[in-house]
Amino acid sequence: MKIVLKRLLSMIPVLLGVILLTFILLRVVPGNPVSILLGEHYNQETIERLTSYMNLDKSVLEQFLSYAAGILRGDLGVSYVMKKPVTDLIFQAFPYTVKLALLSAAIAWFIGLGAGIVAALKQNKLADHLFMGFSLAGVSVPIFMTALFLQYVFAFRIKVFPLSSDGSLISLVLPAIALGWNSAGSIARMTRSSLVDVMQADYIDTAKAKGVRHSAVIFGHALKNSLLPVITMMAMQLASMMSGAVITESIFSIPGIGRLATQAVQNRDMPLLQGTILFTTIIVIFGNLIADVLYGIIDPRIRRAV
Amino acid sequence: MKIRNLSTLLVSAGLILGLATSASAADDGDKILHLGWGADIQTMDVHKTTDNYAVPLSIFDRLLEVQLNDDGSTELVNSIAKDYEISDDGLTYSFTLRDDVYFSDGTQLTAEDVEATFTRMFTLEDSVQTDFTTCIKGAQAILDGETDTLEGVHVTDDLHFEITLEEPFAGFLSVLATPTCCIMSKANLEEAGDDFGQVPEKTIGSGPYMVTEWIRNDSLTLVRNPKYWGEPASAAEVHYKVYPEAASLNMAFQNGDVDILDCEFLDTAIVESVYETAYADQMVNVNRLGTYYLSLNMGVEPMTDVKVRKAMQMAIDRQSILDSIFGGNGVLVDGIYPAGAIGFSEDNQGWLQYDPEGAKALLAEAGYPDGFDVELSVDSGSSQNRQNIYQIVQQNLQDVGINANIVNYDKSSWLAKRTSGEIPIYTSTWTLDYNDPSNIIDVFFSSAEGSKIRSINYQDQEIMTRVADAKKILDENERLAEYAALEKKIVEEDASWVPLFCLQHKFVVSDKIEKFVPHWAGYGDFNCANVVMK
Repeated sequence: MKIVLKRLLSMIPVLLGVILLTFILLRVVPGNPVSILLGEHYNQETIERLTSYMNLDKSVLEQFLSYAAGILRGDLGVSYVMKKPVTDLIFQAFPYTVKLALLSAAIAWFIGLGAGIVAALKQNKLADHLFMGFSLAGVSVPIFMTALFLQYVFAFRIKVFPLSSDGSLISLVLPAIALGWNSAGSIARMTRSSLVDVMQADYIDTAKAKGVRHSAVIFGHALKNSLLPVITMMAMQLASMMSGAVITESIFSIPGIGRLATQAVQNRDMPLLQGTILFTTIIVIFGNLIADVLYGIIDPRIRRAV
Repeated sequence: MKIRNLSTLLVSAGLILGLATSASAADDGDKILHLGWGADIQTMDVHKTTDNYAVPLSIFDRLLEVQLNDDGSTELVNSIAKDYEISDDGLTYSFTLRDDVYFSDGTQLTAEDVEATFTRMFTLEDSVQTDFTTCIKGAQAILDGETDTLEGVHVTDDLHFEITLEEPFAGFLSVLATPTCCIMSKANLEEAGDDFGQVPEKTIGSGPYMVTEWIRNDSLTLVRNPKYWGEPASAAEVHYKVYPEAASLNMAFQNGDVDILDCEFLDTAIVESVYETAYADQMVNVNRLGTYYLSLNMGVEPMTDVKVRKAMQMAIDRQSILDSIFGGNGVLVDGIYPAGAIGFSEDNQGWLQYDPEGAKALLAEAGYPDGFDVELSVDSGSSQNRQNIYQIVQQNLQDVGINANIVNYDKSSWLAKRTSGEIPIYTSTWTLDYNDPSNIIDVFFSSAEGSKIRSINYQDQEIMTRVADAKKILDENERLAEYAALEKKIVEEDASWVPLFCLQHKFVVSDKIEKFVPHWAGYGDFNCANVVMK
């Protein structure tokens, strides 16, 4: 409990740093967001009026102080372009991202762990080569290729799945596979190498020599020890999926966080961009925290060391 | 055999699940129109956007409408304005409203609503529609913060009102037919506040449709407005869906998930190879009333010299740009006004020919026999087609000895540079909002300031004053003659830009569509009541 609290406190400087850095970066780059808003239809009067309306004529320090004060009240400002409070926009988009992330993670973990374990136990046999080849493809083929391929084959040629998301679970299957396969690949490879390492350890030989059943050796001793790095990776992957999957979301038209962030960048929508960055930072920090806590639960040595 | 069984099973499972999820609120036999967007709209409030016109066009009415006829001609027709009279001095417009117009919440549309709409256009702090409507008397006073009431709109009674202008403006009726002048409900505006244009049930119009659902970045649903005064629209519901990836939109159309495909979202090569052939019968083409141009900044050396600018006009191979990038879907224009628009003058066409040798000679005459260095400033947020134009322009300029460097900017930086009047050369397009020459020539050539923020920096003050005054000429022929003379002076004599071409806007419709009439100016957005389904 104490560790968790300590970690939570250490989040504060990180968050402050992120807030300050994104704020300054966005003000340093040239360009006026007002002009984006107006497109081809601008005149001097409108530019000046909107600049003042959006407080862009105030000093950077003033802008920052009012922004920071807003954050403390839970107010991330109103999106320049979408004309809606940033928190509303984020909380509307987040459920879509969560659904996709959970489904992808489930696929990634199931396939990744399964393939990794089988490959390790059948080391250098056909199954090993097969699974590792499959996972290599997962790691190396870019997500947009996988996504477009799946969409073309299973939604366009054979119409098994909907082409784009309509909110239903079935429409999330293809995007989840596209996104999850990539993660499954790295999980499988790490599980395999870690398990292979552990299987060569002395205590495994000891267990075997004592006559422990083969399955008990693997699941009771080897796997438990080899999964530590894998769990860290899984938590980090989940956190990154939670912060939005731009490409998958675009191809399958899922209105998630990734799309929101890209639009914010394209439109120079500073409040929205700051908001999404802050939000994803928090997600990633929590992902790390959860990984650390899990570590402690699985491995008592870590708990004691802290 | 086994595999075939399996796939049949999967397909039927998919179908069952698909049906289960797509069961719609519409009754049997009611038609649903499915449309695809490349990007979602940002707001349904037309005072806060200059391009999200699709929803406002379908859910609101305007006093007048522009009708696009089958022969391509346009005419201004009455909509919720039953009748109007214009005073002899061209300043006062007296309107009579139809007495059967109701908003979808059941309240009647009255002159009070018209007044509230126009007032809001100028009092709303973040209004972006203060461009061509500032001709209304008292608009400028509101923008200057002097008052909150709009002097130029006077309500006589529920169905009668007058609009007074600052000075005569022949194109004003056309202005009233633009999306900018959608008539909103006063009660709704007051009650909804910031939710207007954001929350479907708080965005009430009197048009053929009403909006019932909007999931941002995902979908938007329109349902026929039961209170609509006119002929009910053909489709009972309209479902918009956002497809950020062009490839997905393409497949969605071929899958039957989208009924009208806007070819502007697709690559020209795909349009040519797939749609112009296999779907040739289902293409709907409309002239885009917009002029593509290549600006020549008259404030940047050595383009301050008219000979240099003339040489550059002759150096650009416009036909090959049109053919290689836009598949030849358009016509070259030699002036300012788009082909097919009011003000377009045949007499001002045909003078500009591609002539690299002549260009070289002119450059030598101007004292640049070895050419010079110049920057082509590219907005990297613009369409790929537009960015490709720069490649050919660079080559064309190279051929006459001008060394042009392509420099990429992100959209915001590019706009900032253009607004400060510093971009030497760029290409862009201006599509008409209302069908009148003033809508395009005024933007670029009616004031030194306006010309500067477009990075053209036109210098001739006398001509600019004439441009600004032309719209006050009440005699139609005289006015158009003046506009043609100004066009000739500005483009042919002063060579202040390289006029490029006007394009066609292409759509493909599915076999469920009986008739589709796009927006008269060739926008991608249109009023869904103009779609008739089989």
